[in-house]
Amino acid sequence: MNTIRWSYAINQYKPQFDDFVRREDHERALKTMSIAGFEGVELTTGSGRWEPLGNPTQLTANFGSLRRFRTFLDDCKISAVSSWFFDPHQRVMEDLTPALSPLVAADRDGIVARATWFASALAELGGSVLVASATPPAGDCGEIDDAALGRLADCWAAVGRATLEHGVRTALHVDFLSPLREPANLNRLLELIGPADAGLAVDTAEFTIAGQDPAEIIRRHPGRIWHVQFKDALAVDAAGEYLVPHAQYSVRQRGGDREIPRWFAEPGADGGLVDFTGVMQALIDIGYTGWIVFESDPSPHPATSTLLGGYLMQEQLRPLIAASVVEGHGVTTAKGS
Amino acid sequence: MSNIKWSYMDHWRSNGPAGPIDQWHSHKTMSAFLKQIKAVGFDAIDTFDFRIWQMYGDYGGPVKYQEMVRDHGLEGIINTFHAADYDTRNYAPHLRETHENILEDFRVTMGRWSGVGLNSIIVMPATLYYDMEPITEDKLKITAELWNKVGEITAGHGVKLTCHHEFFCGIQSEADIDTFYANTDPQYVSLFVDTAQHCIASVDLVPLYRRHAHRASGFHFKDTRNVATGDDHRHRPDSEIMAPTTGKWFYEMGTPNGLVDFEEMMRAIKEEQFEGWITVEHDKANKYGGDYSESTAISRWYAANVLEHIYR
Repeated sequence: MNTIRWSYAINQYKPQFDDFVRREDHERALKTMSIAGFEGVELTTGSGRWEPLGNPTQLTANFGSLRRFRTFLDDCKISAVSSWFFDPHQRVMEDLTPALSPLVAADRDGIVARATWFASALAELGGSVLVASATPPAGDCGEIDDAALGRLADCWAAVGRATLEHGVRTALHVDFLSPLREPANLNRLLELIGPADAGLAVDTAEFTIAGQDPAEIIRRHPGRIWHVQFKDALAVDAAGEYLVPHAQYSVRQRGGDREIPRWFAEPGADGGLVDFTGVMQALIDIGYTGWIVFESDPSPHPATSTLLGGYLMQEQLRPLIAASVVEGHGVTTAKGS
Repeated sequence: MSNIKWSYMDHWRSNGPAGPIDQWHSHKTMSAFLKQIKAVGFDAIDTFDFRIWQMYGDYGGPVKYQEMVRDHGLEGIINTFHAADYDTRNYAPHLRETHENILEDFRVTMGRWSGVGLNSIIVMPATLYYDMEPITEDKLKITAELWNKVGEITAGHGVKLTCHHEFFCGIQSEADIDTFYANTDPQYVSLFVDTAQHCIASVDLVPLYRRHAHRASGFHFKDTRNVATGDDHRHRPDSEIMAPTTGKWFYEMGTPNGLVDFEEMMRAIKEEQFEGWITVEHDKANKYGGDYSESTAISRWYAANVLEHIYR
């Protein structure tokens, strides 16, 4: 029997580097996720002493060991770290390595080593998916030709094979600034990567902002969906602003020419553009098994976003799954659909 | 089948575009509130009597409002809190000359709530401490006389009259509470135990509950970190938000450094074989940077993961 498990992403709780650093903050956030019906938590990689949940070194420094961090999660009634969002484009102060790029062949082994570091810890924390930021922003990539896609494929296939040795699958995350938002690029990359090596993480908001229908993406790549993030989108980048250089600052952060105040919101938010019922149905139809992670990324009111997400999950999405079981799709959830 | 169900007393604040709002700001904000209450596992809500005007004006009446509550997966409205404007000129339970006004208030009020199926209507049974002191046996008896009559009125509508003893009201000490109940009819006057209020008033909470368990109709489970000292209970014009010693009296159940022993309370409730509703409350949760959504999640987490292991 296939299983869907529900998790919540920690990223919305840490808007700035000096926020969300204290144990009591973590405890309240995790308990909030738990009581809202989420079984797991998705961490985001980070570096330095003000990122206490950012990597294995910091977890050990703050909790004594990974095992003791797992105990802390258990005490908050969170059963696992479902997944870790991994951004190779960040420098890592713990081992004094710079930002790396999967488009640079010489960076491949360094990315594999970092990914392995996280995957090993993730396995110990009960998780199963490394969610990898697949490319730099399009405006900083140069031309995405077959050679570039080949280098990307080579890197992520190597990462995927390495993390699988720890029982962790690598799922490529396509954000709305990525050149992979273009269907031809994404299709070609997935062709180049062996289907057992790496899969796709569908982030509903990122694809929606990029003008793509996440349900259609799911149906187009049914065997490659290894991870799902549910977050809502409040605007679409129809003008192709993602192509400007350094768009992570001017577009994603500042909102582009329209000064969009908030691209993302919790699933089901007022004004949200994502049809979560449609996406859920697509996942049911392809027989998806794995984690679905709710996000807001970020939220002005994280606890509110978490509870509203919990309501949507419990009252609208789980019943869809339950109905599908009755109809014979054979999908179920870990927490009592 | 559970012996206990959980209701949420509907204090709430969130942030709108123009500043802080409550859930009554719009139907959308009401829906967001109800979704959050349902998401963390509450079964129902309690509300305030003074909201009834907006229920009529904005929802078509309390029955229609309750339909909206039910549309969000909750059972409905369990209790209403009758937050009266106590005034020695016309509304003071220890002054017999104000009783007819109070009785008429309840005759009208209970009619307004008909059709909702309330469990209880909750009252603070005395006026403010400084308007009633010195607290004498005679005053307590006159007060009891009133609530016996009010209880008859509410019982006629199938609703219990139940008394909630704020630390700043005229009946807040252990001895005065006991005297009050000794002079009221258990058939018509019930006790509503607010864990924080009794704790602030230095009342030994669990023994108080055990002595009156046969007439306890419900609970406000909330915590505090402070006990009233000096004149806190008689501070003019207000003790609850203006007492100089303490800027924030109330915290959500499960807060660090809370003074209420909820586990002991839950064991007592189990031993007394109480069956019914426990209401979770944390009024003023947003003070000093607090967040209602988070406090509500933390308190329900505590109920689910600590208290329900004792009794459910």
